[in-house]
Amino acid sequence: MRYVRQIGVVMVKDLRAELRTKEALNASLAFALMILLLFSYTFDPTQEMMREISGGLLWIVFAFAGTLTLNRSFARELPNDCLDALIAAPIPGSALFLGKCFASFVLVLAVELVSLPVFGIFYNVRWTAQLPELILVLLLGTWALTVIGTIFSALTVNIKLREVMLPMLTYPVLMPALMSAMRITTVLVNGAPIGADELDWLKMLIGFDVIFTAVSLALVETVLVG
Amino acid sequence: MPVASLFDASVWAAMLAGVVAVIASILFLRTRNFFYDALALAVTEIGLILLAVGIVTGAVAGRLAGALWWTWDPRLASALVCWLLYAPYLMLRAAIEEPTQRAASAAVVSIFAFVDVPLAVAAVHWWLARHAAPAQPAGMAQATWWSVLLVAMLGVVLSWVRLRREQRRRAADAERRSEQTV
Repeated sequence: MRYVRQIGVVMVKDLRAELRTKEALNASLAFALMILLLFSYTFDPTQEMMREISGGLLWIVFAFAGTLTLNRSFARELPNDCLDALIAAPIPGSALFLGKCFASFVLVLAVELVSLPVFGIFYNVRWTAQLPELILVLLLGTWALTVIGTIFSALTVNIKLREVMLPMLTYPVLMPALMSAMRITTVLVNGAPIGADELDWLKMLIGFDVIFTAVSLALVETVLVG
Repeated sequence: MPVASLFDASVWAAMLAGVVAVIASILFLRTRNFFYDALALAVTEIGLILLAVGIVTGAVAGRLAGALWWTWDPRLASALVCWLLYAPYLMLRAAIEEPTQRAASAAVVSIFAFVDVPLAVAAVHWWLARHAAPAQPAGMAQATWWSVLLVAMLGVVLSWVRLRREQRRRAADAERRSEQTV
């Protein structure tokens, strides 16, 4: 119970700091809308084309915009040596990590929930046909993105090339989860239910979440303290 | 050695390098002995080189057999994904100055990459299985046991040379630092 409260305190602190300045949220949102707009120039958004690529397009937008938020997750603590204070705080490193994870999770999810309707309007896609399943994939995929992003955000926080290194580390590791999310999202956005193939991908996505949450929790003390 | 089996052989050798790298990384985090860090660096670097050679020969073998350079063959594609997984390991090392932090961060990345390899390979195979990939990848053959052995031995020798060089460099570095403090 104590542990849950510790996670909650870190999460609420992060969300409050973000909602006061909105520095990551605004950048991430503007970036997501920008990519959605730019994609419409790279190909002719016909009905058949969208049937093929909607999942891939959406998750590329989510992954790119998400990294902007995740970059700030630990970098926000650098001024005034807040990071040292957090590490010295009487809470386990895993609680700090999970608190930051949940805070980023909420922020990234918020950006996604704004991007989805805009995507539907720009590309004439009725994406609500399989809403509960789509939400499930959104939650699982976003968790994968935030877990990997947060642990690598902590890893790269003291490096000069932080903004460059985070995506370089995050995207390759994230690839299996992104592929799963893209494949399932494409099917769901087209209004089809989850079939046997998508079930396999869903298992991959859940497995990815479980495995990398466990690995991150096992290594987080090393990452934070060195 | 026929070009056709070189791809397969170098993939096996690179996998071996990945296993050694993750074991060395875990041992470093446990013992903080910098020998293991140097070992992980040496095998990762040589493994990446072997994998790059494998990917290029795979593409060339496909071309020689009359197909295209790149046909999204699942084995070639997953080799490329693994290469992209491990390349940031070296970039991260180059970006961190402080030796202990560099070694610990690199070890963490090595562990993440190793855990991700089976998932990524499976995902690439599933993905390409749906996309009418060529039934039999053109121009590539299964590696014979001796070609695997030969490439693996080459890898071991190269890693050993690289390890010695890294250790000499570190020794020189330590000497320079101690002179500065005096």
